[in-house]
Amino acid sequence: MAAAQPNRLPRGGRIDRSRPLAFSFDGKALEGFAGDTLASALLAGGVSVLGRSFKLRRPRGIVGSGAEEPNAIMQIGEGATAQPNPPATQVPLHDGLTARSTRGWPGVRFDLGAVNGALGRMLGAGFYYKTFMWPRSWWKHYEHAIRKSAGFGRVPEGPDPDRYEHMNAHCDVLVAGGGPAGLMAALVAARSGARVILADEQNEFGGSLLASGARIDAAPASDWAAAAVVELRETQDCVLLPSSTVFGYHDHNFLTIAERCGPQGRGVRERLWRVRAKQVVLAQGSLERPLVFCNNDRPGVMLASAVSTYIQRYGVLPGRRAVVFTNNDSAYQAAINLAVAGAEVAAIVDSRAGGGGELAAGAQSLGIPVLKGHVVSDVAGRRRVAGARIARWEGRSWGTVKSTTRIDCDLVAVSGGWSPAVHLHSQAGGQLAWDPSKLCFLPAKARQANVSAGAGNGKWRLGECLADGLRAGVEALSEAGLKTAAVRAPDASADAEEKMIEPLWRVPAAKDADRCPMQFIDLQNDTTVADIRLAAREGYRNVEHVKRYTALGFGTDQGKLGNINGMAVLADTLGKPIADVGTTTFRPAYTPVSFGVCAGESTGPLYDPVRTSAIHEWHEAAGAPMETVGQWHRPWYFPQDGEDIQAAVARECLAVRNSLGVMDASTLGKIDARGPDALEFLERIYTHDVARMKVGRCAYGMMLGEDGMVMDDGVMARTAERGFYLTTTTGGAAAVLEWMEKWLQTEWPELEVYLTSLTDHYSTIAVAGPNSRKLLEKLGCDTPLDRERFAFMAMKPAVLAGMRVALFRVSFSGELAFEINIDSRHALDMWRTLMEAGKEFCITPYGTETMHVLRAEKGFIIAGQDTDGSVTPVDLGMKWLLSKEKDFLGKRSLERPDCLRDDRKQWVGLLAGDGRTVLPEGTQLVGDSGEAAPMCGHVTSSYFSACLGHPIALALVAGGRRRRGETIYAALPGRKPLPAQIVPPVFYDPKGKRQHV
Amino acid sequence: MLLIECPWCGPRAETEFSYGGEAGIFRPADPHALSDAEWADYLFYRSNPRGTHRELWNHAQGCRRWFGVERDTVSYRIKRTYCLSGASGGQPDGSAGGLEAGSGKRR
Amino acid sequence: MSESAPPAGIAIRVRSARGFINLRLNPRNRQALEAAERVLGQQAPLSANTFTGGEHNLYWLGPDEWLIATGAQRASELARELAEALKDFHAAVNDVSGGNVELLVSGANASMVLAKGCPLDLHPRAFAPGQCAQTGLGRAAVLLAAVDPSTYAIVVRRSFARYLRRWLENADSAGVPFRAAGKRQQAGYRSSP
Ligand SMILES: [Zn+2]
Repeated sequence: MAAAQPNRLPRGGRIDRSRPLAFSFDGKALEGFAGDTLASALLAGGVSVLGRSFKLRRPRGIVGSGAEEPNAIMQIGEGATAQPNPPATQVPLHDGLTARSTRGWPGVRFDLGAVNGALGRMLGAGFYYKTFMWPRSWWKHYEHAIRKSAGFGRVPEGPDPDRYEHMNAHCDVLVAGGGPAGLMAALVAARSGARVILADEQNEFGGSLLASGARIDAAPASDWAAAAVVELRETQDCVLLPSSTVFGYHDHNFLTIAERCGPQGRGVRERLWRVRAKQVVLAQGSLERPLVFCNNDRPGVMLASAVSTYIQRYGVLPGRRAVVFTNNDSAYQAAINLAVAGAEVAAIVDSRAGGGGELAAGAQSLGIPVLKGHVVSDVAGRRRVAGARIARWEGRSWGTVKSTTRIDCDLVAVSGGWSPAVHLHSQAGGQLAWDPSKLCFLPAKARQANVSAGAGNGKWRLGECLADGLRAGVEALSEAGLKTAAVRAPDASADAEEKMIEPLWRVPAAKDADRCPMQFIDLQNDTTVADIRLAAREGYRNVEHVKRYTALGFGTDQGKLGNINGMAVLADTLGKPIADVGTTTFRPAYTPVSFGVCAGESTGPLYDPVRTSAIHEWHEAAGAPMETVGQWHRPWYFPQDGEDIQAAVARECLAVRNSLGVMDASTLGKIDARGPDALEFLERIYTHDVARMKVGRCAYGMMLGEDGMVMDDGVMARTAERGFYLTTTTGGAAAVLEWMEKWLQTEWPELEVYLTSLTDHYSTIAVAGPNSRKLLEKLGCDTPLDRERFAFMAMKPAVLAGMRVALFRVSFSGELAFEINIDSRHALDMWRTLMEAGKEFCITPYGTETMHVLRAEKGFIIAGQDTDGSVTPVDLGMKWLLSKEKDFLGKRSLERPDCLRDDRKQWVGLLAGDGRTVLPEGTQLVGDSGEAAPMCGHVTSSYFSACLGHPIALALVAGGRRRRGETIYAALPGRKPLPAQIVPPVFYDPKGKRQHV
Repeated sequence: MLLIECPWCGPRAETEFSYGGEAGIFRPADPHALSDAEWADYLFYRSNPRGTHRELWNHAQGCRRWFGVERDTVSYRIKRTYCLSGASGGQPDGSAGGLEAGSGKRR
Repeated sequence: MSESAPPAGIAIRVRSARGFINLRLNPRNRQALEAAERVLGQQAPLSANTFTGGEHNLYWLGPDEWLIATGAQRASELARELAEALKDFHAAVNDVSGGNVELLVSGANASMVLAKGCPLDLHPRAFAPGQCAQTGLGRAAVLLAAVDPSTYAIVVRRSFARYLRRWLENADSAGVPFRAAGKRQQAGYRSSP
């Protein structure tokens, strides 16, 4: 095993050495242990180059140990379950894991693109804007090349077979981050009886304590963490979420957490927690900053804290001979850890003339040389650090260094200080304040109910951090109005005395800043010091603009390492304080979130609700293809014996015109309106004179928006003096009811009207055709159905075939027709009864397509198809529907000058000149056949009419009504414009005799 | 996602509600007495303030009541929600009803 | 999927032979309210988000709206009686038996399965037996009622019932983040009263 893991320490770490796990990287077989991340296992296996940089193709290795990792971006798995772009530092190792480098086509070791490295100078800030925007027509070539050679991970092949889900949760206190401060806050909240959720992105709670040698309450810090977790786990109303990243802080204390549930392919792969928290404690710790010097991107340059983490937590030694470079005390701990683990620490290079505090003394006692007042100005080596060039630090970032000495090493551990992870605080709208002594932005005034704690609040030292967690927990409890249990902060082993950090934003080089070897700020985007200076020279002053010009902070890591250094360099270049430059806006997500977890279970058949009528099972059994109308699935047509849609629809249409058809119209919206003021209310809502309707009469009703445009339509019936039964379009049902309630409740509360939806209670069956009356009579109806006693547009309650129904003599086909409204529980029975009794009339079920053809032949509109929110009833030629005797919603708008224009688009019929082309709906219409003719309208409905033997179309045409008889042209793709004649919009039975028989 | 306090049902997730635009836009008593400009003002123009905005919301997935909300358009903080009319008192003592006439008294 | 999680183990069943009536009246009209209550033989809940049991279940839907759930046989007759009793008042009585389906969801993990698609706080302190709410479940609007600590009644529009049942079965089959048994943590989602 040792051969497979050359950098694995013989002992130590929180890994299970009894459980070796096989994995592969770019096809090479490797081995790690349970408890490893992919990153720690790769380091253990001696893999130092993990990819090529995005733009410059430079070899890159692991830099960090967590969410901040910019380089080790992986493609995990194969095929449909592949996961693009997680950082290796956040992928728990599992047996059989396959990982690939996402960058460096065709391979990490052999990289054609590396040639670009030599051209790097030309690929400066704004390169994309300057180069690829011109000439525009070349972009497709650029894009192809860039995507192929640059790109991050590859999109999985095929639909993701894994499962994702959402979970809503509520709590008193959500604690984001399970390090010392977060655990402390969670403990006090839990002991106080609060409902607590504690989430941490690591698979184990404890944060920095897991890689720390400190002691809490006289025991190892990790033991204290473990005990805290046990206590929390056993506390009622306390939910622990490991491997869970709080990635979004939204309005009103709504937070989103992505939980990685386990290796893919088992149960739920990821879960999205949607949490409404009364209070939030933000304890996400802090991120170490790298230092900016020449070639600081070489594999082997790592964060000092990451070096410590790999040694302490994973038992991995990332280098054999190290140089530690710092401007603060924390990196001394890494040096000590390296030395204790058996590495040689060639030197600690500390920019501070006075060097470090107590930890420095500890390092020196181990015999580690410390170079005070020095910096690393450059590193040697290409695929791996081979040495560091040391120069004297004069305290000035710009200028040049005179002479350097080289120290051979394979690891440079760097620390440029610490930045609290203020992302969530900022997402929540909180302010930040620059701390000139700690050299970082600290969370300031919060805008939502949140409090920051621990290292994320600038409390680096363990004792302070625990106490701050306790304080934050108590504050959150009191803000939530909960009593606080008496809890004391545990005793932490005394933190070493520290010396203050000193600013070191950029190390000068042998040449000036624009000519020296590259000094990287943002490793993932290859943004350098020179790029930021160039942006400033070109006039960019605002940090948000510089970000977009240089791509600083745009990667999957969102600039967790580079942003502060970038702002400091910009501030320096502009001669402004850092506080004045400020930060860019933090937005969700804190770390990348998969599409899978965003979608949750709303995929496939659960993507959107499918609503079905009470007769649906019959339609399914009949093999009807379904049409989606809103959320409804409606039978589209009923094919027989392998008919295609044209044949089926032609047969269905002729059956209705010649004998008898039956359609499920249950999806129509239905509303019961009743009350003393129902009539007055509906007079205001509908355009026609409702008061003229006697009880038992129906009317076609139209509703306009207050802007005069057609909103919805449908048959409405007066069922009682004070009661009406209204129908709406299928898609408009919910919106119409809500809109009516709005007028009732907000504008006319004095009107006493109750509206109740009956859409689901009643099913509607349309029986249409010359034999429809005969069919109902045959079934036995307790009310006479003849023309005199049951006239067109009448409505009666009845008993039909022994079932209670409401019968409407209305027609949407132009034929003699009845609509049967029946309790949905009996609808299928009624349908079957009709089908059985109708056999002698060759009863033919028809779907939505036939319904459309029949109504189009008659010139009946479909709101939402022939109208689009810009069409008035006058445009439709339905002025007859507008009452002259009353006001109604939208009436005044019809007098607006724009509505009176005589060149408005008006609804007309259209016949294709060739007599056989069914013009596609949406076809643009032009005034003449020339190449650049102006558009004058479009086709709204278009079908082949079997009954007439030719296609028919309905269209909105500018000034159409007075242009009847004129020929215009349909612009068809790939064809010459087709002439079409404008005709009246009623093609069949224009006098309307058939429905009155 | 906002947490909106329905005056009738209590605090509920934003997904249960639908938005109804600015509150206090009264329908003119006699639209036909208005000039085109006055009618357009009623129809199209809204205050769109930076800061407190009075707006209408409907508890669409809940009690179907429309109500008023005072929301800060910068911070999204909701200062208060209120019933629009006393037409339907939810409590026998009327304590939850008849709070405020939100609009439309002039007809 | 090579291996699937154990299901949450909830029971989902349709309550058959149920009838429903939608009732609208202003409860400040005491005479109307009392007339209705006389027919119903029980009080209508006036507190938001509650329901009362008895011969019928009366769910508060809004300040002037209730849903009466009762036996299917009884519903149409009851609707007629109510309409008759309320004919002199401003009220609306609609038999909506054909428009609704009642599901019963029960089991130790019931609230956690519902929480996958319901934005309400279902903690027993926030949503105790006797409480009801119109809310969303999955992408459907529902009336959700807490019957006892591990049983919920869901009334959904008939056209959404197929979808909702499928949604519930799917949510159940995905299991729960932590099991009810052996872990007191569970109480965060389900009461130990
Ligand atoms: Zn409500």
